[in-house]
Amino acid sequence: MKRSPAWPRHLAMVAVCFLMLVPFYWVIKTSLTGENIYAYPPRIIPVEPHLFNYVDVWYLIPFARYFLNSLIVTSMAICGNLLFNTAAAYALTKDFPGRRWLVLLFLSCMLIPFQATIIPAYLITSWLGVLNTQLGIALPLLSTIICIFVFKASFEAVPKSLIDAARIDGLGEWRIVTRIMLPLSKPAIATNVILSFIWSWNAFLWPLIVTRTPEMQTLPLGLARFMSVLENTTGSLHAFVVLVLLPGVTIFLMAQKEFIRGLTSGAIKG
Amino acid sequence: MTAAPWLARKRTREAALAVCFLLPALSIFFLYRILPLGWNIWLSFHSWSPLKAAQFVGLENYQEMLLDDEVFWESLGNSLIFIGCSPVAIAAALGIALLVNSDLKGAAVYRTIVFLSYPLMTVAVGIIWRWLYDERAGLFNYVLRSAGVIDQPLPFLQSYDFALLCIIAADFWQVLGFYMIILLTGLQSIPIHLYEAARVDGVPTVARFLRITLPLLRPSLFICIVVGILNSFTSFDLIYVMTNGGPGHATELLITHIYKSGFGQTRFDYAAALTVVQFLLLVALTWIANRLAGGNAGALER
Repeated sequence: MKRSPAWPRHLAMVAVCFLMLVPFYWVIKTSLTGENIYAYPPRIIPVEPHLFNYVDVWYLIPFARYFLNSLIVTSMAICGNLLFNTAAAYALTKDFPGRRWLVLLFLSCMLIPFQATIIPAYLITSWLGVLNTQLGIALPLLSTIICIFVFKASFEAVPKSLIDAARIDGLGEWRIVTRIMLPLSKPAIATNVILSFIWSWNAFLWPLIVTRTPEMQTLPLGLARFMSVLENTTGSLHAFVVLVLLPGVTIFLMAQKEFIRGLTSGAIKG
Repeated sequence: MTAAPWLARKRTREAALAVCFLLPALSIFFLYRILPLGWNIWLSFHSWSPLKAAQFVGLENYQEMLLDDEVFWESLGNSLIFIGCSPVAIAAALGIALLVNSDLKGAAVYRTIVFLSYPLMTVAVGIIWRWLYDERAGLFNYVLRSAGVIDQPLPFLQSYDFALLCIIAADFWQVLGFYMIILLTGLQSIPIHLYEAARVDGVPTVARFLRITLPLLRPSLFICIVVGILNSFTSFDLIYVMTNGGPGHATELLITHIYKSGFGQTRFDYAAALTVVQFLLLVALTWIANRLAGGNAGALER
């Protein structure tokens, strides 16, 4: 087999990676800059980098409040996804009348983008009385169709004989799920946790509609608010950006494989 | 075999159990997917606001949209430009996927770096790019001015000509890694023996790419195109942060128009009509893309 040398390909990929990383570098650099960030020409390497801007974030905005709200919403979304998706997926592996019809219903629900539902979704949330609460933000995020199918595929791979044996031993249906199905579906669990984390952590449009007061707002809203309300010439907005991105990036780097598997098995966000 | 009563009982028990297990997920999808879809359609034919009883007005909302609403047509045009640009990103991602797919040392590292921007919070991405485009001290203006391409700094996001393209570039930066991963999965599902057979037959590289890679990559390309279409209608976060639809309505998309009519002017009925049109357009475009991809495009989604 004729081999072309590898270096041109390395060169191309290094160039691509450089372009992809420049925005990251620029925001981190700005967040560490001590002087007026609007000074021209901007410095490529910050002189006397320091962390004052990160401290400023705590004083300028209720960062802890935003963070707590984000944490609550995200935890609810993750728990809801694990519980509801597991149950739904397990039911879909059973044979009952109307099963095919239900699968079809789920698949067609996937076609409805959430953005196309915001007006009635707002009215429904208001009718349920959970406007401007963390529960209201989390409610539509509590179950995801893609994740149901990820679980279903995983459950279907569990040998039938194992389930029958457990049933003969007298295990109830829910115990079969928690004792046999779930321990054998660790990759599916990881995919569920990561996808629901990323989607609820990053969600913006829905929290923007549902919340009214800063006490209920999540990090992305805090970010947008900071940007539009506080005109400042230090890098604290950019320090905020870095702080907000860190958890997502860390989790992604730790569980890249599961994240990518989730995306490629579902491909389109449901 | 006779249907013993215990068997029938077992079946009803199983069905009841399935219903109980499905109920939580189903009620969420009913409340936040199916019911809103129907409610939107109902609202779009009525004149309604939270303080006023609903009154049937037929097609009045749609009439206003199609005949009197210039912002509607402008945002449709913007979505079309968005869709028209997406092949650039898909082609770039395909190039990167081909490079990374080979037995290149360190391919995993390259892949991670290219993909790193995808799981980011889009609001933060908007702020980062807004800052890169900044007129006074943005990186792009700095580079262009240092290189002598321009004398005066360009107000990228405030200009009617550039603002939309700037947002599209930011969107591409974020979504490129996703396209790459999807195309990479597609590339890895192509059987190697096809390439070996072609090589034995002396088929040149370009023909191998055109005759084997591209046709077999169709399902993955379809997913990329659909995501591109979805993005072109629903990139709310980026636009809200970077330009909020301006200057004028140069970067308005249907979703920002819906948000502004619904929650800015409290015209829920009109916003619902816009939503219905947006939904129909999305379904139609996805269907067309599916036809172009050869019909069996769902194959890779399993």
